Amino acid sequence: MANNGAKISFKNGLQNQMRDFLKECMKKGIFDAVVLPVRVPANDSYAWILMNDISIVDQANPIPPVMPVQGAKALKSLTRKGDGILKIATIMKPCEIRATIELAKLSQVNLENITLISYDCPGAIPMSIYNNLSDDMEIFYNDVVSENNFVSEKMKEVCGFCVDFSDVPDDLHFGFTGLENEVYIIPNTGKGNSVLEKLEMKSSENLSQWKKNVADIKKIKSKNRIDIYKQVQPTVDGLDNLQKTYEKCIGCHNCQSACPICYCRQCFFDSTASEQSANTLIDIAEKRGGIGFPRDKIMFQVGRMSHMSLSCVSCGQCMDACPVNIPVAKIFSFVSSKTQNTFEYRAGFSGDEPIPLKVYKDDELSKIHEIVKNAESDGSEHE
Amino acid sequence: MSKVIKIDINSKQGLLDFLEHLLSNNEISGVMSLRKINENGICDYGLITEVDDLKSIEPFAPVMPVNASHILSSITPAKKPIIAIIKPCELRGFVERVKRKQGSMKNIITVSYTCGGVLPLNTFQSDDNEKIVSEYFETIKGTDTPENVRPVCKACEHFIPMTADITISVFGNKDFNSKSCLMMNTEQAIKLSKSYKCEIVEKKMDDKLMDEILKKRKAGKEKLYKEIAITKDGLDEFVDIFGKCIGCHGCSRVCPICYCTLCDFESSNYDYKVDLIENELSQKDGLRLPPDTIFFQLGRLNHMSFSCIGCGQCEDVCPAGIPVSSIFKKVGESTAELFDYIPGKDVEEIIPVMMIKEQEFPEVGE
Amino acid sequence: MEKEFTPRITSFVCKWCTYTGADLAGIGRLQYPTSIIAMRVLCSSRIDPVFILKSYLKGADGILIGGCHPGDCHYETGNYYTRRRFMILKSIFDSLGLKSDRLRLSWISASEGGKFARVANEFTEKIKKIGPSDTKRNMFL
Repeated sequence: MANNGAKISFKNGLQNQMRDFLKECMKKGIFDAVVLPVRVPANDSYAWILMNDISIVDQANPIPPVMPVQGAKALKSLTRKGDGILKIATIMKPCEIRATIELAKLSQVNLENITLISYDCPGAIPMSIYNNLSDDMEIFYNDVVSENNFVSEKMKEVCGFCVDFSDVPDDLHFGFTGLENEVYIIPNTGKGNSVLEKLEMKSSENLSQWKKNVADIKKIKSKNRIDIYKQVQPTVDGLDNLQKTYEKCIGCHNCQSACPICYCRQCFFDSTASEQSANTLIDIAEKRGGIGFPRDKIMFQVGRMSHMSLSCVSCGQCMDACPVNIPVAKIFSFVSSKTQNTFEYRAGFSGDEPIPLKVYKDDELSKIHEIVKNAESDGSEHE
Repeated sequence: MSKVIKIDINSKQGLLDFLEHLLSNNEISGVMSLRKINENGICDYGLITEVDDLKSIEPFAPVMPVNASHILSSITPAKKPIIAIIKPCELRGFVERVKRKQGSMKNIITVSYTCGGVLPLNTFQSDDNEKIVSEYFETIKGTDTPENVRPVCKACEHFIPMTADITISVFGNKDFNSKSCLMMNTEQAIKLSKSYKCEIVEKKMDDKLMDEILKKRKAGKEKLYKEIAITKDGLDEFVDIFGKCIGCHGCSRVCPICYCTLCDFESSNYDYKVDLIENELSQKDGLRLPPDTIFFQLGRLNHMSFSCIGCGQCEDVCPAGIPVSSIFKKVGESTAELFDYIPGKDVEEIIPVMMIKEQEFPEVGE
Repeated sequence: MEKEFTPRITSFVCKWCTYTGADLAGIGRLQYPTSIIAMRVLCSSRIDPVFILKSYLKGADGILIGGCHPGDCHYETGNYYTRRRFMILKSIFDSLGLKSDRLRLSWISASEGGKFARVANEFTEKIKKIGPSDTKRNMFL
């Protein structure tokens, strides 16, 4: 994180200021196009739009109250194949930026021509609530942004305990926590610096006060996080509890398809590889007296954890997409905090840090000896 | 007229007794049915092979966690007879799947019933499930469809199972809690019930009653179609409906008809090179990302609408709250009508896009 | 002066009949509008309705499908399937309020150069009357 930034005062709201900033950049040719959320014609949701027309930027809302599609998915669909020539900027929520960076490590996003811009995120309203009350929610969310309220209770549950609402390795960052009608534009990378240079903005303001403000809110959120993890822990402790938590699961795999990290065209758990033949299923049923459907609920959930929890950014999309209200996001956040801690890795925090499963060190994970030992002694007790 | 087994206990117990008899005498190897999995009344589909475990079944529970045709596909062709207790639309879904070679009727004895509708998945999550369900069963003793069922259920005209081996009267049955009648529709079912000692009578379904229900359902359908009607020509209204689609494709994954392991619209056919997108941007002011959200809906309609059985599963899983199933049912009816096709009516029929008639649509092509 | 609207009509034509018919129209120096962009396919049943959808959503003002007359298909039954698929698509368009007038299926044999020119003219005139497709402007597709 940079220590200095440029300071701008504004009158007509932060969103307008951000739009003006982008328009200025487009006029000066710093960006050829931008990717921004635009409210759909029916006003009940937002869609990511790639635009090169300055007049459409006015229709966009850089800080949307909802996150229907994770921004990383939008960028993935744009840059997965081939190299473009347009210089594109996008403003996304911090968790979307982090997911984008994870996807870049997984070679699903090409960040070469992309400038990532983010902001101190007040959270997102759950989609189901926004869908029905979109106009009220727009007003409510505008107030939240203008009042700098980072602990609103109407946001998604994961947003309530998101400690990384501001820490994000974006190129440019709009920091406004605890400021009134002012915003710091903070260049975090060379790309960001050059944008500010081209705009002839000097990043000379000291950020210590803003950083302190962020730290204060972080403290509140960390406390929430500990509380939530305490709640989640017993619900996933042991197979019985896990089964109970997921008993409602209908196997629709919406959580997987809404997940920005799960990029496989065909999920392993949807493929024929994890299909069982009719005879096998009937045999199992006869042996056990009965089997439930859909099969492999726990297999899918735990399998997905093993596949992507190291890159989970706790954006909460899975929970929004679950038709039977299983707190998937909370569980994944809890589990991924454990798996990521094992490797002292934080998903999406640095573009240079490789994904733990892609590298190894000769001397690491010293705990494993202990685990193996314990397992052996456990085993001998059973004998 | 068909042979009817009459038992003087309530319908669920009667069916249970029949199933216990068959299972303990090895006439069948298993029963596939909804069953209760916790004290809150949450149900899932189970394949039960132990007589003792049969007690947990809730054959008439008004829920549909999964469209059972998916499950039947995965356990067929079965080597030994299995009884499957499923809803009429699930049965029709299975028939459509069998036509697409995604399952087999072999050794599957289907039990279905006149269906009062299914409660949406999120209704069935609360703690007062028991109250909701008992109210539901109280309502369907009459001819009214409960208000809180899925929107498409209120508009469903095919509440009488079409091809079931055994039919049970539930919707509109006043004696549901005191008597049970199992209608044996096919030879297979009659053969199966030979060893079961019981009173067998000749009986027919109460046509007058069924007509009354049908009339109400038709009115319900009219109401639903009015609600989702597109009144103006052009793209706007259509975009209003599907504009909020997040492209999760949950609707296609739970759809009984969409059987492809990899949906065409998820395949690499629709991955675009970035220069292609940039080129398109030069002709248009704005492009939606990810692309093809609305194209997917139209494409899926084109692939499966004529077989849409209107089970409502897609609408239930839609995280964006789009009335997917109502629209698919409406469009599906219009496409199936072209070929006088009723999805799920007859397993011997061929799906419309797999067959041709030389003399049809003479007006086309000039 | 307002610029006159020249429609862009994507046209999928069967190699054995309609494409040859179009050729014949050219050889016979029959006039037909340049709005028709013809794509040759081996049989009209090669045309996945999804192609038509895609052209429509990407801004084609009209979509013309050309095939052999029923009974004349080089592969015997291909065009019967096309006819069914076309009807399904048309019906979907109609029930969703999209303009199915923008879709047209015509049977044009290899010898019917005149018919090809007539259909191309008629269809272009019709599309001109309907106006440009609104899919060109809508960024939420």
